[in-house]
Formats: sequence, structure tokens, C-alpha cells
Amino acid sequence: MGSQIQLTISVTMIVLFSIAIFGFAIEFANDNEAIMNVGSDTTAASVYNLQKDNSSQFSTESEDTYTSILESTIGEGSDTIPSAAPFAPSTRNLISSTKNIITLPIQSIFGGWGSPFGIFFTALLSIITFMFGLYLWKTLRGNP
Amino acid sequence: MSYLYNLPNTTSGLDAIVIDTFSVFPFMSSLILLFVYLTVFIGGITRQLIKSGTADYSAWALIAGMATLLPALIFSISAGFIQLDWLIIVVAMNILGAIWFFLDKKSSEI
Repeated sequence: MGSQIQLTISVTMIVLFSIAIFGFAIEFANDNEAIMNVGSDTTAASVYNLQKDNSSQFSTESEDTYTSILESTIGEGSDTIPSAAPFAPSTRNLISSTKNIITLPIQSIFGGWGSPFGIFFTALLSIITFMFGLYLWKTLRGNP
Repeated sequence: MSYLYNLPNTTSGLDAIVIDTFSVFPFMSSLILLFVYLTVFIGGITRQLIKSGTADYSAWALIAGMATLLPALIFSISAGFIQLDWLIIVVAMNILGAIWFFLDKKSSEI
């Protein structure tokens, strides 16, 4: 683990990879009129649709955030901007995207969030969320 | 001579033999996929360890997952080869591999 940029890019790449794999599998089934289609599984289809929604939301919020970065000001006598608004998409959309991605393996392999192994993924998500928070704080305040 | 199972009808083509075999032993397709996954995963790690002394475990997990997805998708074209559950599990293994791979890498390596 290195930086906020690294964590953000990693999670973004995980989201893009999952969309690519789903898209490839579903289009392969459609093109070849396959009997088994990944899209016909309710969990997989809902995860794929949620990912698409999250990704389009991410791109909209990225534009808004870029505007907010350009318009941000640092008050007189202050070291930093008043709010963490420029980091909004990385903390909101990416964490919910990660949760959506993890939903499919945990449902299909480990038997749902209530399964004995569910706590592993809950802890993984928690540490990612926590890291995002720490990185934002470090970016806003700088090293002590 | 008596057999433990009904012999497949060999006059209707090679795929009928394979589908009959899979229907007698439904776990067969899963074992084939497991074989592909472990061959790529363990084989890749072993070769990399011999050549360079270190192995990129997460990358080989991802490559093995993608190598498994291809036969799984081909199995999905015809009925009787693979259950939908197993296809979803292969996709899920890919996603788990990707999570491991991308969180494992430095930003300069992605």
C-alpha cells in the first residue's frame, strides 16, 4: 500500500475488470446463443447492472469534482481547503462498487454475507474504507 | 459383459459421448476446470520461482482464472456440459483474482 492515488486506481481497475469480464461473458453467450448465460443468473445480472450504474455515476461525479477542485479556495491563515469535497467520488462510488463486486463471489462461493466466511469480506471492505479515510485526512492536512 | 453405466451411443457423434460421460459423472466438467486452473497457477508459479527466485502469486491467480474462463464459456454453449452455478463461480474466481492482483500491485506496476 502506498498512496491514495494507488488505492483509488487499484479499486477503479478492479471495477473496470469486473465490468469487462461480465461484458465479455454475457456477449459471448449472446453471440453464440449459449444455453448457459452469465446474465441469466439473478445475482450476477444485478451485480453487473449495479456496476454499470456506479461507473456512470463515478464519471459524472468525477466531472463535478474536477470543477470543485478548480473552484476550491484556501482561506487566509488556513493550511487547507475547508472540506474534503474534491475526494467525494473516490470515497463514495468506489467503495459501493467494491461492495457490489464482492457480493457476487460471496453469494456464489461462500453463501452470503451471513456465512461464517462473510466476516472476512466485511473486514476487507472495512479496511479499504478506513484506508480511504486516512489517505484523505493525510492529503488534506499533510504529514504532521 | 455388464457395465456400471449405460454405454453412450457412439453413432451420434463425439459430443454425444462427452455429454453422456458428463451426465454419468456431473462433476467432470468442474474437475476439468479445476485441472486447468491448478495447472496454470501451480505451473506458472513453479516456473517463475525456478527462473527468478520469486513468484507473482496474485498475477498467476488472475491468469489462471482467465485461462479457466475460456473453457468454461465454451462448455456453456451446449447443454449438459456445465451448470450455471459453476460458470458463475468461475467468473467470481476471476473477480477475486483481480481484487487480489490490483490491491497487491504498486501504482507503477498496474
